[in-house]
Amino acid sequence: MTAYKRVQQWNTFARVWHLYDATWQNPFESAQRIMKYLKGLHKPIYHPLNDCGDHVVVINSGEIALLGDEWRKRVYFHHTGYPGGATWTLAWELHDKDPTMIMKKAVYNVMDGNLQRRYTMQRLHIYPDDDVPEKIKQNITNQIRQLRPVPKRLDRYAPEEVQRFPKVMDWPKNYILR
Amino acid sequence: MILGALKLWQRYTCLSVAMCVPRQNVHLSCAKMIKEIHESQEGNVRIFQGVNILSPREPYLVKTDDSRGCCTICSLGLDVKHTDVLILSQFLRSDGCMLPRRVTGLCRNQQKRMSKMVAMAQKAGLMPNIAPPKSKMDPKRRYKWKKYNTYFDESTIKDVRSITSGKKGASTQM
Ligand SMILES: [Zn+2]
Repeated sequence: MTAYKRVQQWNTFARVWHLYDATWQNPFESAQRIMKYLKGLHKPIYHPLNDCGDHVVVINSGEIALLGDEWRKRVYFHHTGYPGGATWTLAWELHDKDPTMIMKKAVYNVMDGNLQRRYTMQRLHIYPDDDVPEKIKQNITNQIRQLRPVPKRLDRYAPEEVQRFPKVMDWPKNYILR
Repeated sequence: MILGALKLWQRYTCLSVAMCVPRQNVHLSCAKMIKEIHESQEGNVRIFQGVNILSPREPYLVKTDDSRGCCTICSLGLDVKHTDVLILSQFLRSDGCMLPRRVTGLCRNQQKRMSKMVAMAQKAGLMPNIAPPKSKMDPKRRYKWKKYNTYFDESTIKDVRSITSGKKGASTQM
């Protein structure tokens, strides 16, 4: 084996660390994409029996966005196993308790329920804000593209930018401004 | 940048280049004056004054060719999303109320679309600075589920079912 082939072999089977910024992203749409990186489905060498999945570091999971009234309509069910041990938690209540849990459960639920699932989940690292430990940060070499554009708030624009933006409406004559 | 806003900006710049005439604030014919109420205190007397001013929007107004003869949004062919806060905020009063149709000059359909999208943008906390003075400006300080990020789907806004839709096809086409 030549030196080139040997390095190519290492690079092929090395684990890559991907970064994903979950700000204003739907966790359930994002989970579909993150799952592909975790399982290694994006690689040409993919086979369910070879261990070629990558690591994904999800940051800002506290800033995820849900569609419409989903924050108070989506329910998470848990049963302790004892009689009367069932609980139903709304998405916003769960997010209050743990801002990483909705993202984690979303990724867990898009994967097939086989013996590999727990080990694949160990390669997912979720942080509620952008405060990532240095030990994990130094591994990251790639970033996964966000699915939807992050909206900009009106008060984040400079005042002259708002004032000079093209106007589609002018007030009628003698309109009292307020 | 948001798509609708970008398209509007392109339209604006290409129009102003095509005409090659710098927009000016001096009008020989009647200028469109609007009124502003000034409040001042002199000893025991509080004075309210109505002052005529030139509209600050005049130089930035987009010229529309009224080919479809509907309203500015329709004739520009803009696909406005609820995240285009720079466009939506033009239809608002300073306290965040939607202006009526006689002021905005929109057609019935677009007026409904715009007011729905204004509500979406306000629920998503994208226009916290245009709000009643007592409101919590920061969306993060809101109550329970309202403090979390939410986005909306514009396709849920239904078209206005016009009374004249049977006679005029133009309003339903859009
Ligand atoms: Zn119209």
